[in-house]
Amino acid sequence: MVRFLIPSVAVLLFLVEPEFAMFSPIEVKGQIFYLVPRFLILYLIFISIYYSRQRAVMYGLFFGVLYDVFYIDIIGLYSVLFPLICFIAGSIVKVIHQHLVVTTTISVVLVAILEFILYQFFYLIDFTTIPLSEFLRSRLLPTIIANALFLMILGWAFKYLINARVLQRAREVS
Amino acid sequence: MPHFFFNKKLILLLVGMVFLVALISFSLRERTNATLPEQIIKDTVGVAQSIVAKPANYITGVFNSIDSLLNTYEENKRLKARLDEFAAVQAEASDLKSDIKKFQELTDKSESLKAYDPIHATVIARNPDQWEQKIILDKGSSHGVEKNMAVMTAKGLVGKVVSVTPFTSEVELLYTDKSNYRVSAMVQGDNQAYGLIEGYDKERNELIMKRIDSSLTIKKGQQVVSSGLGGIFPKNVPIGEITEVSTDDFGLTKMAYVKPAADFSILDYVVIAKRSATVIDGFDSNKSVDNTSNKDLTHSQKGKEEAE
Repeated sequence: MVRFLIPSVAVLLFLVEPEFAMFSPIEVKGQIFYLVPRFLILYLIFISIYYSRQRAVMYGLFFGVLYDVFYIDIIGLYSVLFPLICFIAGSIVKVIHQHLVVTTTISVVLVAILEFILYQFFYLIDFTTIPLSEFLRSRLLPTIIANALFLMILGWAFKYLINARVLQRAREVS
Repeated sequence: MPHFFFNKKLILLLVGMVFLVALISFSLRERTNATLPEQIIKDTVGVAQSIVAKPANYITGVFNSIDSLLNTYEENKRLKARLDEFAAVQAEASDLKSDIKKFQELTDKSESLKAYDPIHATVIARNPDQWEQKIILDKGSSHGVEKNMAVMTAKGLVGKVVSVTPFTSEVELLYTDKSNYRVSAMVQGDNQAYGLIEGYDKERNELIMKRIDSSLTIKKGQQVVSSGLGGIFPKNVPIGEITEVSTDDFGLTKMAYVKPAADFSILDYVVIAKRSATVIDGFDSNKSVDNTSNKDLTHSQKGKEEAE
């Protein structure tokens, strides 16, 4: 049961993300803020940290391809970035402590890096012309805040679920 | 990581990089149609997405109704004030309608650029990373949607279809940076001024209408609608209201800032307009028609100068 729960949560988050994106951009006092939901990659980072790096990279590749084809029509962007982020997360975790607060911080920082790389890429291919300061103010900061909030609310649930799976696998092996 | 530099892995990495760059540049090309595997993925994800979108749309609907409930009092006041004008306007409208009918019978022209078949569609997703302003609809080519069709809400134009698969279609919103995205538009008034909606101003968050004849006077507050002369969009779809008029970079034509009529923040149901009149490839499509014509213009100007 738990075995199938992990991929199905990933699929659910993949499908829920664009629904949350419909609330964005929000306008506060004449300023436009873009909130980019990054639920799926946060979840994959958690899998990479608490479960298995290899598995997370596989999921990252699969959902990255779906993301590329369905949303942005540039194949090879997310399908590289998602596995790469998962790989980095899985590698970092070997040298640090696996406390929930630490992993949450790492996940949010990695999402910020992802956003920044994407900004540089889209700037390079002329899809956007906004200057760096504007990007930091209207996109990166609100996105970080929104995703940190999301992780604070649901991070423990991810950890709980993944730990259940790890325990189950340990039992199967023994 | 010393093992990283083993020959086999290095070669694999290099091949991977080359493959990646090739893939990205392939997909960045201006493609007319999605490839078959892409279409299959899009349709499968689209179907799953539309299932998830139903409860999500319901929830946003509830929030919207709560929101409008809170505004009821204010709105009611305003509406009451306008109700008195309404009767007079309606009488005039019906009068004009019958006039138009008579004239049409006289001139024997029944087909109008204004007529279109609406295809109602639900927004199933919005591009989550929001670098491109795209939404995805649950109607595709099997429902009669074609590329470059106009997409609108009850309030006004929101964008146009950029790609279709059998069961989904992708819409690029008017708020876009793409240089080859343009909509043929017209300023309503005594003398109709034609122009093109091209791009938007990020700081003002308004659309820019360019190439308006400088001899025509246009004022702040005038309504901008689609002209139907672009070949694909129907006529008279409201786009927005002029907020400022100025001359363009070269001082040859006028340009105007247009505040869009439609609300882009929460789009849930939209209408795809299938024009009844014959569709031709013109300004509304993404072809770089006027880049070439611009070039011709500069060439001919140069020629003139040389002749002088």
